Amino acid sequence: MLVIIRSAPDTPEGKRGVKLARAMSADIVLLQNGVYFIEGQALEDLGFAGPAYVLEDDKRLRGLTADGMNIKSISYDSLVDFMAESDKVIGMF
Amino acid sequence: MGKTMTLYLSTSPYSYENTLTTVRVADAALNKGHTVNLIASADGVYCFLKGQKAKGITNAEQEFSRLIQKGLKVYL
Amino acid sequence: MEKIAMILRKPPYGDINAAEAVRHALGAVSGDIAVSLILVDGGVHLARKGQDDTGTGFTNLEATLKDCNEMGVEVFADNLSLIEYGVKEGERVEGVKAANESEIAAIIKSCDTTMIF
Repeated sequence: MLVIIRSAPDTPEGKRGVKLARAMSADIVLLQNGVYFIEGQALEDLGFAGPAYVLEDDKRLRGLTADGMNIKSISYDSLVDFMAESDKVIGMF
Repeated sequence: MGKTMTLYLSTSPYSYENTLTTVRVADAALNKGHTVNLIASADGVYCFLKGQKAKGITNAEQEFSRLIQKGLKVYL
Repeated sequence: MEKIAMILRKPPYGDINAAEAVRHALGAVSGDIAVSLILVDGGVHLARKGQDDTGTGFTNLEATLKDCNEMGVEVFADNLSLIEYGVKEGERVEGVKAANESEIAAIIKSCDTTMIF
């Protein structure tokens, strides 16, 4: 299962997406303003410890250079592969 | 073998980043041989109006026209 | 001279607010209005250096923010928001001034009009 999060960490939508992914043991892909979740420990703070990925283009667009803890940068190609491989894709939050 | 992906777009073309995300995901999926459906609902239908003049942001008409040529199936 | 405060609360690119704020700031300053652009909450991400728009088709808002500065727009960023949102001093576009709550309140008070994005 894959949860896609496009909303920033300070929004109810962004938080809801992370909590849902945690409850469903789903992987997370961060894009648009969701990429700000890579800063600090925003995912860990919401209790999420599973695999998380961030869309490289959206991260670069915002001038973010740091890699999040255990968060791998991916391309649109990889995102599409994840979507095609997942039995369920939920989002975008 | 290619899969079928259905994307849902409900926001107006120039107020959110969703237009760019949808274009780039659909483009990448079509390149990989997947079948891509796009359902445009609510303000999402404005992405398909003719005569859009947007610059400095994803031009919805231009990009979706290109993707339709590539095989994107759009349902309004 | 008329004075206007423009408050940006949203991060750039996810929606149109940041682009609109800098666009209207440039428009106002070109029309001889004194503009204070105030970044608060997620809006402070606009002040982040190194925004790379390659391949997106978007206008680079870091460059537009610099244009604002050069045209005479005063750009302020809320100190607490900078800390909360992790935009550190070395990572900020030059010319963006950190301001505390009471300084921001004084700027808004001194302006004739306030626009919120």
